[in-house]
Amino acid sequence: MTYVYYLLLSALLFALGAYGAMRRRSVLLLLMSVELMLNAANLGLITFARAWGSLAAQGAALLVVALAAAEVAVGLALVVAVFRVRESTTVDDLSELKG
Amino acid sequence: MNLFDLVAGVVLLLTGFLAVQSKNAVHAALALAANFIVMGTVFMRLEARFLGWIEIIVYAGAIMVLFIFVIMLLYDAKADLGVDPLPWLRLWAPGVAALLFLGLAWAFFGFRAPLDMATAKAALFGGTAQALGPVLWRDWLYAVLLVAALLLVATVAAVALVKPEGGEER
Amino acid sequence: MLLAIGLPLLGFLVLGLFGRRFKEPTPGVLASALVGLSFSISVYLLFVGGERFALADWLPGIPLALSFDHLSGYMALVVTGIGFLIHVYAIGYMAGDEGFSRFFAYFNFFIAAMLTLVFADSYPVMFIGWEGVGLASFLLIGFWYADWKNADSARKAFVVNRIGDLGFLLGMAALYAFFGTLSISGLKEAIEGSLVLPAGLGLVGLLLFVAAVGKSAQVPLMVWLPDAMAGPTPVSALIHAATMVTAGVYLLARSSFLYVNLPDVSYWIAVIGVLTALYGALSALGQWDIKKIIAYSTISQLGYMFLAVGVGAYWIALFHVMTHAFYKALLFLASGSVIHALHGEQDVRKMGGLKKYLPRTHLHGLIGALSLAGFPLMAGFWSKDAIITATLTHPFGGLGFYLVALFTAFLTAIYAMRWYVLVFLGEYRGQGHPHEAPAVMTVPNDVLAFGATFAGFLALPEPFWNLIEPFLAPALAEVEAHPFGLWTEWGLILLSAVVALVGLWAGYTLYANYFKKKLPEWYRAFERAALEAFYVDKIYNAFLVNPAKETAKLLGFTDRGLDATYVATASEVGALGRVLARLQTGYARFYAFLILFFAGLFVLWGVVR
Repeated sequence: MTYVYYLLLSALLFALGAYGAMRRRSVLLLLMSVELMLNAANLGLITFARAWGSLAAQGAALLVVALAAAEVAVGLALVVAVFRVRESTTVDDLSELKG
Repeated sequence: MNLFDLVAGVVLLLTGFLAVQSKNAVHAALALAANFIVMGTVFMRLEARFLGWIEIIVYAGAIMVLFIFVIMLLYDAKADLGVDPLPWLRLWAPGVAALLFLGLAWAFFGFRAPLDMATAKAALFGGTAQALGPVLWRDWLYAVLLVAALLLVATVAAVALVKPEGGEER
Repeated sequence: MLLAIGLPLLGFLVLGLFGRRFKEPTPGVLASALVGLSFSISVYLLFVGGERFALADWLPGIPLALSFDHLSGYMALVVTGIGFLIHVYAIGYMAGDEGFSRFFAYFNFFIAAMLTLVFADSYPVMFIGWEGVGLASFLLIGFWYADWKNADSARKAFVVNRIGDLGFLLGMAALYAFFGTLSISGLKEAIEGSLVLPAGLGLVGLLLFVAAVGKSAQVPLMVWLPDAMAGPTPVSALIHAATMVTAGVYLLARSSFLYVNLPDVSYWIAVIGVLTALYGALSALGQWDIKKIIAYSTISQLGYMFLAVGVGAYWIALFHVMTHAFYKALLFLASGSVIHALHGEQDVRKMGGLKKYLPRTHLHGLIGALSLAGFPLMAGFWSKDAIITATLTHPFGGLGFYLVALFTAFLTAIYAMRWYVLVFLGEYRGQGHPHEAPAVMTVPNDVLAFGATFAGFLALPEPFWNLIEPFLAPALAEVEAHPFGLWTEWGLILLSAVVALVGLWAGYTLYANYFKKKLPEWYRAFERAALEAFYVDKIYNAFLVNPAKETAKLLGFTDRGLDATYVATASEVGALGRVLARLQTGYARFYAFLILFFAGLFVLWGVVR
């Protein structure tokens, strides 16, 4: 029962993060929503680890955290670099690859 | 299913909601940080102690701090400025989110534990570093090494991206 | 020998590529000089005794062989000699034309191709030359291509020639199938040596004859020649009088070893020949264009040559080729001088009385006309009479041929005199101010006039000398002729002379003061019919040409339809692409939306499954 509860919670958080990823127009807030999604996925992993008694799943969750850290580092560096040129953090302004 | 679970669940949802809805970026970032802290405690409840601490230290402590740092640096406290070029998303985004939730919920709803709780709990050894370490460094060594390399690359990239061009500064 | 072909070819390349840089008259002088050199080479080779050149196995079993023997040397002399004179004439005639060097490039190319044809010792090589002269003819008839009538005439000539070329190709295929080789000397040995000949050889003879009919404008493929007059006069003189049209005769003479064994085919050659002769003469009587009269005359005289080949008198046909080359070229070039003097007028009804304005040209015209008519002792007389007599003495002949040929000679005299009278005598009926042609045009005509008068003396009947027959004999087939006794022979000659003179007199009386006469209605009707060449063109147009044009239009329509389909498909694909491109908005949130949306669907699908 607890499992289902936490799994549903993870799904809900994931959906919230997805909503934020689509609606937020500032790059930083967008990235934050993505982090929320990642976290929700992690919750799911940990729950399954508990259900199966699998340490491997926890290991996977750890690797996810590491990857998220790397992604945030690079992403924020990009944001800063773009901001230097554009003076704007609105993601909609970065839409030149169109056509 | 005890009180802790319920309260944690409520807090998680609340902070998550604030994180995606706040007009003020700093508020959103702080809410998310709170979210991560509570998440860490939930992990500990789920017999993943090491990971719980990692969540608090790395996620809330490093990543979110970094976010707040950049927000301050760019003075981006106000979000959502200017004209929205995709106005129809206001309608459709909740729809897609709901779709995702429904799909996942449907998948998870019928989940029954394969093992009984006590056995599973015993197998995890509490999810401590001592228990997790051998699994990682023995069975999943390659993955760990790759992720480590990735972290290195990310660090170098992040530094390179914000390096000033050809020594202008200073 | 290769040099003789190569020099004019070089001229073609140089003038074709760089011609624009040269100022007049350099291209003309260069071209004429090269042809003159080819002539000298031919003379030299004649003294040296000939030359052979062969490249074995050029095509499997077929050598690329050229041979300068008496026959090809004879023809080469005619081609390059007359060709040289006409080149020089053309320097004057084409002066001021903006395509001056292009003209001489094509002219040189023609000479090169004609020499290839003449020197060929294997049929495919001859075919190369054959096609080459056809191409040169096309290019030169349509030389002033801006006027679509000229381009049409050129196309007509090429298409009709093509029909003949088909015969050539099929004939070659059949020969190869029978004998496995297409070398002329090889075939000659094979056919002369063998006792039993393949049954299908008659077919071969017929097919090669079809080729000759196309190239040499015999009935029924003669329709292109009068239209070919759209080209400049030197072209008409060189190609359509002296040389290209005689290629057919040459082909048949070269293949004489074949025809001598085919009495039926030879009979038909003679029949077509004499019909053509008659047709040409009749049509010439109704023409009002100075060049068309001569064009039909050429058709008629070619008929005579074919008649000679048909009855087996191969050397006589070639003799007539030479004399005809002289006087026909002369007539054309004299006409050219007249046209040049009148600044482009070609209708004889607007000429007349030019005797006093163009004295030299008048003399040329008179000599040409008399030689054509067969005035006694002139070149045309000897050769034409030789043909007429041959119809009785040679194996495939007959009395019917004799009578028709004689009657046609009568008609020839009449129309020749008609031409002369209408152009030069009487009062001038036109509006222009005629002036005599420059020396560069009259001097070659002088040489031609000399030839037209005296060339006949190279081959006189018994008991005088005959230089040509023994000269050509080694290359031609042996024919059993039954010559007449001396008195009979000379009696017949006298008869021909009388016929010619009567014809000339008749022509003179009929056409002097022509415009003041009241002529009977039947004559007027005949004249109108003759003008339309007895409606042959109209018949061909109705039954052959217009249906073909309609088919072509229909096919073009289908073709355009196919093209439209392809284009439509392509543009539909493009439209689809444009629609899909709208997904590339550039907005990250939109992409996120898409990703999440489809991820959701995916999850749902996974769950439902």
